[in-house]
Amino acid sequence: MNEKRILVAFDGSDNALRAVDYVGRVLGAAPGFQVRLLYVERLPERDFFATEAAWKEACETQAAGVRQALARAEAALKAAGLPPDSVGSEYLPSCRSPQNQAPSCSLGTSIARDVVRVMVEGGYGTVVIGRRGVSKAEEFLFGSVSTKVMHLAKDCAVWVVA
Amino acid sequence: MESAAPLLAGLAPDFPLQHAGRVVTDTAQFMDIGYGDVIRVGGRHYLVLRDEAERRFGLEDPKFWVKRCRCLENGERRILKLEFFEEFPVRIGTFEAHCYRSPQKESRILEMVKGDPRFMQGETCTDEAGHNVRVLEVVQGRRLDTFIEDLPVDHETYFREHFPAVLDKYLGACEALRFLHERGEKHGDVRRDHIFVEYQGGGWRWIDFDYAFDFHENPFGLDLFGLGNILVFLTAKGTPTPLDMPAEVVAGLSPADMSIVFGNRLVNLRKLHPYIPVELNRVLLHFSAGSEVFYDSVEELTGDLRACRALL
Repeated sequence: MNEKRILVAFDGSDNALRAVDYVGRVLGAAPGFQVRLLYVERLPERDFFATEAAWKEACETQAAGVRQALARAEAALKAAGLPPDSVGSEYLPSCRSPQNQAPSCSLGTSIARDVVRVMVEGGYGTVVIGRRGVSKAEEFLFGSVSTKVMHLAKDCAVWVVA
Repeated sequence: MESAAPLLAGLAPDFPLQHAGRVVTDTAQFMDIGYGDVIRVGGRHYLVLRDEAERRFGLEDPKFWVKRCRCLENGERRILKLEFFEEFPVRIGTFEAHCYRSPQKESRILEMVKGDPRFMQGETCTDEAGHNVRVLEVVQGRRLDTFIEDLPVDHETYFREHFPAVLDKYLGACEALRFLHERGEKHGDVRRDHIFVEYQGGGWRWIDFDYAFDFHENPFGLDLFGLGNILVFLTAKGTPTPLDMPAEVVAGLSPADMSIVFGNRLVNLRKLHPYIPVELNRVLLHFSAGSEVFYDSVEELTGDLRACRALL
């Protein structure tokens, strides 16, 4: 494990932006760190659209928005003092994505499991994740990525930014 | 528009022709399709008898897009579900989730479970205008909730004599949902009145799979929540609330004993029925407000329940 390799789970939400901001402020210009933002694609639910074309359009719009958000987050980290070559991002596509051609993809059953898988495969020693602050009942019904990451992660540090 | 009268005169001579409607080949305007109309789809003709309705809280809730029909070619009863895209909020306790009624989802699942006695059966046809029409077999049975509630025995007799067999059936129903989950599908509307107990053989069948939700981190969470509610209902032979419990039991309850979502429903049933084994009660408590650990999958739930089954 290399604790200076840091994986930031990113979904474009305010919670994720807080996590990015926190990483920027904590690390600043400190040397030797590698920071990678990870977005696990969650497609709009296909069944919410009457036609395939409407769904594909929504997928494309969402993907474009997320890529822009990733670029802004990368820029924010660099502006905080991190060397440009130490910051990167990864867009992990859904296996069901109409655009997916990547060798690795998300099965769509658990974002947390995807985050932990990327962490292990990439040798990251630190995972950073924003937390919404949900009630227990909401967590029961809708799930919580941060809680599940905390349960699943081993041999690493998990920073939860609430 | 073509009158259904000649068709009915030939294929349904018992039908009073003064009520004959139209032959419908485009089902888009389903509100206008009613008694006496004949829907032509999939090479067959279906005489519409009435709209289906759900009884909830003592009220009839009509489903205008679901038609109770008779197939004119073979006389068999069928339910025709017509294409209806609906987006609406669903209230779950104090929460609201975004739901979509999806004909294609139900069609996919019907295809997936073809021949599987744990699910309602049917096929998808397309009308002449290209609309989805699901032609469903009528499940010959009773809703699970009324079936259980009407068993004419007190709770302890029910629990000792009937519940072990009920739990076996419930485990089968769980396995049916696991079958869907393993194939990336959700039931979407897991409720005790969405299982029918067949008159012949007593098999349990899931019905109605057209609800779609968009839960990213916990895609099967709502199905599991529904399974938990059903398990509590089956164990309690009803839905105990403080209003119908003895005062001494109510005095010993805390919020942690109640459902995590419905604060007035008792989940810690051992406080009401002390003969319920601790192990089974522990499974129930996963669905209580006091729980810190939740089931992630049907497999986890059934694994714990099987261990309990041996103790009954």
